[in-house]
Amino acid sequence: MGLTKRLFIKIIPGKTFLDKLSGTTKVRFFLLLILLLIVSWDLRVLLAVSALGIIGMISVKPNWPLVRGLTIFMLLTNLFNLFLIWLTNPNYGADLTGGCTVLLVLSKHYFISAETLFALFVRFMKFMSTFLISLCFIQCITPSEMAAGLYSIKVPYKVCTVVSLAFRYIPDIARDFENIKISMQARGMELDSKKVGFFARLKQNILILMPLIISSFDRIGNIANAMDLRGFGKGKKRTYYSEHEETKEDKIMKVCYLLTAAGIVAIMIGRIVAPPEYKMWKPW
Amino acid sequence: MALPIIEFHDFGFRYQSQTEQTLHDVNLTIYQGEKVLILGPSGSGKSTLANCINGLIPFSYEGEISGSCKVAGIETKESSIFQLSKHVGTVQQDSDAQFVGLSVGEDIAFSLENDEVPRKDMIPMVLEAAKTVGMEDYLMEPPFNLSGGQKQKVALAGILHDHAEILLFDEPLAALDPAMGMTTVDLIDQIHKKENATVIIIEHRLEDVLYRHIDRIILVNEGTIQMDTTPDELLRSDVLKKNGIREPLYIAALKHAGIQFGKDEHLDNINELAIDRYKEKIQQEMKAVKPYVPAEKGEELLKAEHVDFAYEERQVLSDVSFTVCRGEKIAIIGKNGAGKSTMAKLLCGIIRPVAGSITIQGVNYLPLTIKEIGRKIGYVMQNPNQMLVKDMIRDEVELALVLNDFSREEIDRRVEKTLKMCDLYSMRNWPVSVLSYGQRKRVTIASILALEPEVIILDEPTAGQDYQRYSEIMGFLETLNREYHITILFITHDMHLAIEYTDRAIVFADGKCIADAPVFTVLSDESVIERANLKQTSLVLLAKQAGIDPESYIRHFIEIEREERAHGTDETTVH
Repeated sequence: MGLTKRLFIKIIPGKTFLDKLSGTTKVRFFLLLILLLIVSWDLRVLLAVSALGIIGMISVKPNWPLVRGLTIFMLLTNLFNLFLIWLTNPNYGADLTGGCTVLLVLSKHYFISAETLFALFVRFMKFMSTFLISLCFIQCITPSEMAAGLYSIKVPYKVCTVVSLAFRYIPDIARDFENIKISMQARGMELDSKKVGFFARLKQNILILMPLIISSFDRIGNIANAMDLRGFGKGKKRTYYSEHEETKEDKIMKVCYLLTAAGIVAIMIGRIVAPPEYKMWKPW
Repeated sequence: MALPIIEFHDFGFRYQSQTEQTLHDVNLTIYQGEKVLILGPSGSGKSTLANCINGLIPFSYEGEISGSCKVAGIETKESSIFQLSKHVGTVQQDSDAQFVGLSVGEDIAFSLENDEVPRKDMIPMVLEAAKTVGMEDYLMEPPFNLSGGQKQKVALAGILHDHAEILLFDEPLAALDPAMGMTTVDLIDQIHKKENATVIIIEHRLEDVLYRHIDRIILVNEGTIQMDTTPDELLRSDVLKKNGIREPLYIAALKHAGIQFGKDEHLDNINELAIDRYKEKIQQEMKAVKPYVPAEKGEELLKAEHVDFAYEERQVLSDVSFTVCRGEKIAIIGKNGAGKSTMAKLLCGIIRPVAGSITIQGVNYLPLTIKEIGRKIGYVMQNPNQMLVKDMIRDEVELALVLNDFSREEIDRRVEKTLKMCDLYSMRNWPVSVLSYGQRKRVTIASILALEPEVIILDEPTAGQDYQRYSEIMGFLETLNREYHITILFITHDMHLAIEYTDRAIVFADGKCIADAPVFTVLSDESVIERANLKQTSLVLLAKQAGIDPESYIRHFIEIEREERAHGTDETTVH
């Protein structure tokens, strides 16, 4: 299905190690890693997580051209962001690490220091590792597993179902949109970007949205009825067909994410008990 | 004596938003283990009746109930939809929307998940249900890879776990091609026997449902029960036509031949029909039939020659050739996925052939843009709601002209002409939202006709429509063809449409054009019928049993029907 590829999601579970883990394991491990990346300013941790991310990425055999495109985009935005940080505060590193070893003076206000370069690099890694882990997560989970995983961390199941239903019906809606667009083109609507300006095209796309919304509302009514008739919303709890029992792999990963959790707690406690002088760990 | 399982007593229902009751004075008892067909045209109240049984009324649709409705001994208004769903399993009409899971297995498991059944118990239950409907090899498939019929089967599997006493099918055939429809009717029959359940089918496609035995038919119209009887009794009477239901073709044909059915006759199954009694009469009738004279062909409008098309590496169409002449009415038929929609997209220029050529009035269409082709070939989508973008009828009809930069005077002239042609002139300033389905369809056709195309292509113009609406839409198109010589291509899997309203059929199967001939020839060709997943019409069987040539018999039947319609046009086209 071309569309799910474009949407970057998997509908049919894959066959790799990460794919085979249960939704619970995937969601919990992912959320804990993200939490770790948020609290930690330690380059060693960031590098380790990035390495994990890269290994994970390779192991799930993703759609490389898409990954490449997305990575380049993220890299550029990230670099631009770092540049802006430097522009607003060239002495950014001093606040985070202490010390200011000037390497190059550019003007009265602007200079480059070793500390700033280092701090910016840490920020860069923080961002890129978050991106890598997220990408890896999206590539190895199906919407149903996501719903089951979220349910396992006590998210109400109605919310979880909304998540998986969205993925269920997005391709349908996209197909409707495509059909409506085609019929409008045949009636003479010009949607070719070379021939029509951006705003004219935007206006025409809005015109197409009208029938799309109406037909989607009809569908929502039918879906709601179908769910009611099969007992959705009856009890406080629910089970998941797509959520298999804990396997040996899941148990191994459970140890990993529990260690991660312990690490996060240690970092937090460390900060409270013995607050470090500076936020960022530095190798010197 | 079987026990009653559904009991309506002086039952009535009024939707919150309406002033009048949709159902009134309903008295009906259905017994355990019965197989009942609830028959009625759209808007007759039959779906409302179904929703009263499964509990959507009053739990999802608010309104006022009078009288009593008991399902499995429970008074529905004092129950809940969840309690009722234990007793009533429902398969809805829209097989796509009711597929809520992301895979076959997950969808079948949906009610089990809601019942908090542990996964290890769920797996064998899902497998068993899937086996019952023959979908056990597809458990991991996502809905996008399934046909309408397969989704229908999955929906059916999903209600089998609880062994509900009542299985309710709300228009199960609406979206299926003829052969798939037969499979579904057969499957329902098998499950009825196996599960020992009470089966209720809501439909208006009588002949298709009668493919398997039905115990009782309840005819609903104007919000109440018109008749509650056996299939034989119903077929013998003349109430079907009066209530906007199409008679099975063989019954209509025999009635045409002036045959009176005896009281003891089995009419619901053509194979049990005592054909010997009528043989003579039919043969007599056929003697008067004149030989076939093909109509003279008009100017060549559209020509496809050796057209190939492929999506990425998948070959969808190969070596397709045909010609369309002015004034023709052609049915493009074939099962879902046979390539007929692809062909329509090719003709409209939305996609272009990989090899071969398409010419419009002798001009190669390859260099033309979609917009330019759109002025020659109009395309009307199946669902009018997906085509209507403006609030007012007039604005909708003139949209294509505005987009094509016509002058104001020309726009006004054409819009007026088109509105008059489509009998919409008096409604030109009405908002689109107040129109009925049939009227909306007419507006979408008008919006295409405004461009004065040479050919219009209609995608499934009657899908999911009952006989009354169907007749309204098709009668209108027939008038357009007769009075204004509009050339029309119908993409359809409705055999009735092909028989009643078209002259020629182009049949697709597996990406190839396997037949291109007059409708009666195509429909009497058994190998074509089988390859294209079509259903053999009962006329062929009837003709064979009566010992006459099926081809000329179908032709004769078509002629009679058309004549009858021509005399009765006032009733069907003016609304």
